[in-house]
Amino acid sequence: MARVPAGDWVPHVEAFVDVSRSPAQHSAGVDALVALVNKDKLTLFDLVSKMDMYLTTTDHIVRARGIMLLGEIMSRISSKWLDVNAITTFSDFFISRLSDWQALRGALVGCLALLHRKLSVGTIMVANVKRLLEAFIHDVQVQSLAAADRKLCFEIFSCILDHYPEAVKTMDDELLYWICQSIDEEKDPECLKLSFHVVEVVMKLFPDPSGLADQFASDFFEILSKYFPVYFTHGAGDNLGVTRDELSRALMHAFCASPYFEPFAIPLLLDKLSSSLPLAKLDSLRYLDNCIQCYGADRMVAHASAIWFKLKEVLFSLSSDQLLSSGSPKDAENNKNEIISEAKHCLKTAVTYIHSSDRDIFINLILLDDDIVNNIHSVTTEENSICSSLQNQKQLQALGSVISILAESSTYLCTRVLQAHFKRLVDILGNSAGFDSQHLNIGNGSSPAAINYGALYLSVQMLSSCREVAVASREGFPAEESWWLILEEKLDQFIQLSGKLLTIDSQTIQSAVRKECVSYAVKGLLILATMPEQCSLVLANAYEDILLMLTSVITSKYEDAHLWRLSLKALTNIGSSAVEFGASKRETVYNRIVVDKIIRLTESCDASMPLNLRLEASFEVGTASVNYMLRVARSLEEAVITNISQVNGSIECVEYVICLIDCYCSRLLPWLFTSGGLNELALSFALRLWDEIGDLVTLDRIRSQGLLDSLMMGMKLLVGVCTEEQQSLIVQKACGIVSSKLSLPVNTMTHHLLSVEELVPAHSVEDTALVCMLSSVIVGLRPRTPLPEMIMIINLFSVFLLNGHIPAAHALASIFNKYVQNSDFSHENKLDKKLDVILGECFSIVLTSSSLKMSHSAAVTSDSANSDSLPGTGSIGSKFDILCGLAWIGKGLLMRGDEKVKEISLFLLKCLVLDQISANIPPHQEEHNDNLSSDASLATAAAGAFHVMMSDSEVCLNKKFHARIKFLYKQRFFSILMPIFLSKIKETPEMTTKLVMYRAFGHIISNAPVSAVITEAHQILLVMVDILAKLSMDIQDKDLVYSLLLVLSGMLMDEKGKECILENMNIIVSVLAQLVSYPHMMVVRETALQCFVAMSSFPHSKVYRMRPQVLQAAIKALDDKKRVVRQEAVRCRQTWQSSFA
Amino acid sequence: MTVGMINANPVVHERPERAAHPAHAALDALDVFDTVRDIKDPEHPYSLEQLSVLSQESVSVDEKLGHIQITFTPTVQHCSMATVIGLCLRLKLMQNFPPHFKIDIKVAPGSLANEESVNKQLNDKERVAAALENPNLRQLVDDCLCSDHSSSY
Repeated sequence: MARVPAGDWVPHVEAFVDVSRSPAQHSAGVDALVALVNKDKLTLFDLVSKMDMYLTTTDHIVRARGIMLLGEIMSRISSKWLDVNAITTFSDFFISRLSDWQALRGALVGCLALLHRKLSVGTIMVANVKRLLEAFIHDVQVQSLAAADRKLCFEIFSCILDHYPEAVKTMDDELLYWICQSIDEEKDPECLKLSFHVVEVVMKLFPDPSGLADQFASDFFEILSKYFPVYFTHGAGDNLGVTRDELSRALMHAFCASPYFEPFAIPLLLDKLSSSLPLAKLDSLRYLDNCIQCYGADRMVAHASAIWFKLKEVLFSLSSDQLLSSGSPKDAENNKNEIISEAKHCLKTAVTYIHSSDRDIFINLILLDDDIVNNIHSVTTEENSICSSLQNQKQLQALGSVISILAESSTYLCTRVLQAHFKRLVDILGNSAGFDSQHLNIGNGSSPAAINYGALYLSVQMLSSCREVAVASREGFPAEESWWLILEEKLDQFIQLSGKLLTIDSQTIQSAVRKECVSYAVKGLLILATMPEQCSLVLANAYEDILLMLTSVITSKYEDAHLWRLSLKALTNIGSSAVEFGASKRETVYNRIVVDKIIRLTESCDASMPLNLRLEASFEVGTASVNYMLRVARSLEEAVITNISQVNGSIECVEYVICLIDCYCSRLLPWLFTSGGLNELALSFALRLWDEIGDLVTLDRIRSQGLLDSLMMGMKLLVGVCTEEQQSLIVQKACGIVSSKLSLPVNTMTHHLLSVEELVPAHSVEDTALVCMLSSVIVGLRPRTPLPEMIMIINLFSVFLLNGHIPAAHALASIFNKYVQNSDFSHENKLDKKLDVILGECFSIVLTSSSLKMSHSAAVTSDSANSDSLPGTGSIGSKFDILCGLAWIGKGLLMRGDEKVKEISLFLLKCLVLDQISANIPPHQEEHNDNLSSDASLATAAAGAFHVMMSDSEVCLNKKFHARIKFLYKQRFFSILMPIFLSKIKETPEMTTKLVMYRAFGHIISNAPVSAVITEAHQILLVMVDILAKLSMDIQDKDLVYSLLLVLSGMLMDEKGKECILENMNIIVSVLAQLVSYPHMMVVRETALQCFVAMSSFPHSKVYRMRPQVLQAAIKALDDKKRVVRQEAVRCRQTWQSSFA
Repeated sequence: MTVGMINANPVVHERPERAAHPAHAALDALDVFDTVRDIKDPEHPYSLEQLSVLSQESVSVDEKLGHIQITFTPTVQHCSMATVIGLCLRLKLMQNFPPHFKIDIKVAPGSLANEESVNKQLNDKERVAAALENPNLRQLVDDCLCSDHSSSY
């Protein structure tokens, strides 16, 4: 290896050692040397021998720099392999330097670097570590060093403890003494964190009794206890490298390190628990919690009573006034809640960990505690008034949680708790006035239903503990469990009482107390019904009773919304728990009692119960499991089918069916789809629907009753969730029915298009409905589903499209979008040709009798032979529909990224300028005026067509219906059309034509992605603002105005958009000021004001001129009709006034 | 300005929960009260509502006539801050309501020693304008308005 001559690298050493050089030069020197050493161009031996003078000189400063350099290099070559000799030499050197207090830093850095070395690159030997320790103890006075050096010392120490414990284990008390000395009075947070860690590890290293740890525990704890609770107000942003939580956690680990701390720690923690500082309380509880787990039951038993008394104090009598808090009352309340929940946690730990040595200890402490006994007594004797005071309620909650913590901990404790109280509580509950049957019957008695809330609350808490215990000991549930016997004895009584509670007439008592009572009664029933099935032998009857009770609430007590919802929720939970526990017997019972009844609710259209509640109940109960949901779905299906086929044309019944279909499609189908239980369900429903539709009489009724739309949507969704094979079955059936029932000569359609006039007379209502339903099937198809008789279908839909039926256009758009598979159309061109024919027909019909047609007879080239001879068929209305249909087909092509979309968009553009063209040609016919007006409205329809093409739709061509959607298709369309529109708008002089253009372009801008619009902002901003200004005149354009305004506000948020807006500030401010008083839509006014607010953050020099105008607009808006606008106006005014003051 | 505090230890009330606005959009007393409740007291870091200087009952609004009337109760009889509080109220209302509203600000009867003169001063256009031109006074008023910890926006 080529060595670098000494002359090359010695200057680096000099640069580092020279204190007068800058820090940058120092670090550059080290970098250069480290690079040389790492590349083996400089050996450490050479380095040390050349540095000889620097390392041994009597000048402290130079010597310190020299050793520092060596230490730095050592720490930077941690990944370079060194042999034992080198490491020993270096460790000897650094250890010897520890006594050199004037140049200590370098030695510390070097030692740390040696200790940090990994095994694979050569580590320091244990014997050397031991020597290092001895030298450390002997020579280094940690307390007298600077903070950075102290930190190094602690780092060295914790590194030794973590990685070389064998070197420490053989040490004597001198080491511990030295540690005590070093960490005493430490203040620096980072050093503290390390020193806590040192104590923790050291205490764990000497676990033997009568060993060093025992001996030093009191000394260590005396030092540690000064820091508790950790009070450290610096946040993470202060760059101290440590947060309060980290420090507190480190201290907690130190506290928990050894059981020898127990005699000191527990009294301290209990003492601090009485502090009024919320932080001290919280920390004490957390530490206590951990200490109980670490010190072990034997040591903790002695403290059990003290702990209980302190926790009792916190749980029962803590009020937020006792806490010192700088924040608002809300903060104090939060603190208090946090403390209480931590105290509960701590109590739970104490009960679980400590009771192992003496299982009665907490029974004696808690259950026989005078306060608790008195409390239970007072809570259960006070009747009705219990909820009246907040204080009482809090006491009750505390009591409930203590009792359930105790009872949950083990079977034995649960039994003891139940023994002590449960029977009495249920008896009290039974004796309370609320269950005097006479009162119930009379209803208007003097004191209706004074339910003992306290008894109810506590017994429900006990029940929930029982369930916890039962769940915890799931396998092997001995019947002679004594808590179970107690429960069994009172079970029937409790269920009956709860049932009565649910059936009390809701009109007589409608208070908060009752609400609470009812919710606890329901909760109690829920707990009993969800007990693990091991108990089911005894509980079978009870289970049925509970289900019957809750179901009867659902079916009969729907006026009481609170109770109704609670019961429904409980029923759902019971159902899902039966499924979860795999309790098949319970599932059967549930099916028989609950699902049957609930399903029957939806089966008829006239019932006293509101339909939405009936449907909600069915759905909620269904969510418990897929099987239940399938039953619900089938019953809904049945109801729909029977109601469609029956001849009773009442309005209510139609609405009922609409609701059923809506619920089925919007709630059940998605739920079943995600939970994977769909299978044949949608298929069979769709097929049955087709069976019904096949009957023309039914079809006619459906149509006349307004059911068609709802059925169409339902059919689309049903088909949409089916698989390809299922879809093809549906399509076959649909096609069969349509071709047999349709009064048109369908079979002739397989070859060529029928001409329109041939069809018009035969066009019956039933036919239209039938085609609508067929189109719904086509819309929902997946792209790979084969479609039979495609030519016939396309021809059929074309005919209906040419008659102005939008659903037909949806179907065609879906076909062309998905390129649905068909053997006839193996060649793509064929389908394309078909498309050309249809478009040609549409174009020519729309343009017949329009002036464009007259002036540009060759505007449309069509393959169709009779297109030129078409008479003026098709009313203006159907022309609009055809335009709209064209837009749908265009949308389908656009989404797939087909080039043909250009043809359609160019045609629509042509329609936009129709009236301009017609105005330009001299009048040579009488009907010219008629043409003018019809052209104008045609142009408006064409503008709307652009909206159809760009916007997302729920009806057709979306993800649910498996449309092919090309990435960024909207953006592409926008960038193609933008230049065309810009130039056309520039060319157009007339206002009316311009307005139509504006509308169309507005639709395109507002539906394009904002980021795409922003990239073109410099070109379109002015046009956009002009559109806003012009369109704000007409009420019909209000939605468009709003969406354009949103685009503008999006621009305001973007850097590039901002630049453009700044350039055109004047005009934008005046248009926005105009929109601030936009009369037709509140959100427009609000958004305009928000835009102003956003503008106030623009550079002062650019916007200060606008201030008077903005303020004037804002002041005007102060008088707005709507509160939201007024508030926004105030904000706008304030920001503009203050930022320019 | 006076040396020392006029009422060094006022009674501070808890902030009540904000009531939701009624569904109708017309201007009502709650709207007006919402704009002024968070104005800071000139002496203490509490809002006028917390010090019970204002309450919703002390505000009355007649939207048709364009009239707002506020009656406030200074914390002590001899409170010399009453004029500053009144000025704050007036400025805030002027900023937040259209100019055609007539605003009357009064001290609650019997709550202040020099009630009449203060009422007169607060409803005199010229004197209000003059007071707002005084830079020290304006600073004080702006501080009160600025630091209102309004949460409504």
